Formats: sequence, structure tokens, C-alpha cells
Amino acid sequence: MADTLTPERAPERLCELSGDVRAAVLLDAAGSLASSSEDDRKRAAELAELARRLFEEVDRATRDWDPEPPEQVEVQIPGGAVFASRTPRWTLAAVAKRGALSSLMLYDLRALLGELEGGPAIIRSTPAKEAASGLATEEQPGEDLPMPELGGGS
Amino acid sequence: MKEKRKGPLSRAAGLAEGMAATMRRMQREREPRVLVYDPAGYARLIQPEARGHAHIMEVAEEMLALVAERE
Repeated sequence: MADTLTPERAPERLCELSGDVRAAVLLDAAGSLASSSEDDRKRAAELAELARRLFEEVDRATRDWDPEPPEQVEVQIPGGAVFASRTPRWTLAAVAKRGALSSLMLYDLRALLGELEGGPAIIRSTPAKEAASGLATEEQPGEDLPMPELGGGS
Repeated sequence: MKEKRKGPLSRAAGLAEGMAATMRRMQREREPRVLVYDPAGYARLIQPEARGHAHIMEVAEEMLALVAERE
């Protein structure tokens, strides 16, 4: 079985899934920092606090709309974008590059949170380089592969 | 119905129009904005003049600045 996603790994995994993600942070149900792609603990904590405030502001702005609060938010700003998604247990927020595709970002966020909640794992395709090391390719036939014997013995 | 273009110049003009439209659409998509999505995935725009819009933008800008600082 491929590596199971843990809360500690979630932000890093998001960065792996999308090259447009510049930083990501995961908060628990209490709004506290669970993990971050940032190595600097202070910066990670600040990012987590801002992500918590982001949904707080969204809830304030939309409280008269629907009985159900928004699940995801997208903020396009000059120089980049911020995406965030939440479940009752987790909130995952990402700061992305300017050209990041909203639909893909939102899908990745939701899929990762789904995986954290016990949903199916995201299947990633194997890069060609990795595949070449283990399997035969057109350029490099596998030496260990059994070669069929043609013709019978004379 | 769109009139079919004839001749290389008309075709080139058609291509340029298409590219310009794409550029305009990309620009529009990147305009500052706040969108929220319900659990079904339906998007709703928080209008710039709406309550809380400015605060949301501020928080997002702070997040971006924090990351840009590191880069």
C-alpha cells in the first residue's frame, strides 16, 4: 500500500500535487496549527492564524446567506491567490501562484481533506524517471525480463 | 451564425480575435475577487462592496506577503 496520508504530511503533499502552491497549512478543528509546508515554525504559526481568520471573516460575511457555511474559499489578489477548504475536523489553506487554476486547486484541497477523513487515496502517476529505474521502457529494455525462447531446440 | 472567414488575412484576423478574447478572459479571471463555494461546489461571489469583503482581502494579502517574505 502506498504511503497513507497523515495530517503531518498533508501540506507537503499538496505542494507535491500542485507546482502552483507556494505554501500550505493544515489546522485542526480548534483552529490550531496541525502542520505546515513551512520549515520556520513562527511563520507556520502566523500562516495558520491567518488561515483561521480567513474563514472567520468568510463566515462573518456570509452569515445571512445560507444555513450551511461555505466549505471552500478562493481569494484572487494581485500577485497570487489564496485557497482554503474545510471539513468539520480540518482546514487546509494554500497560498498559490498567480496563474494557479482555481478548479484544480479546489479539487486538490478537497481530495486531500477527503483522504485525511478516510476517503480514497489520491493516485498519482509515476514520473517517467522513476518508472525507468524499475520497469522496462522503449529506450531501455529490461535486462532481467525473461526473454521468450523462439523455436525449438535443433 | 458566425460568418465563415475566407482568405489567409481573414483567418489571421480570426486567430488574433480568438487570442485577444482568451487574454481578456484570463485577465478577468485573475481580477481581485472573493469566491466562496458551498459543499455542492456552487460558487458565490462576495461583492466588493459587501460586508467583510475588505477584511477577507486583507487577510489573504497578509498570507501572500508572509510567503513572499520567505521567497
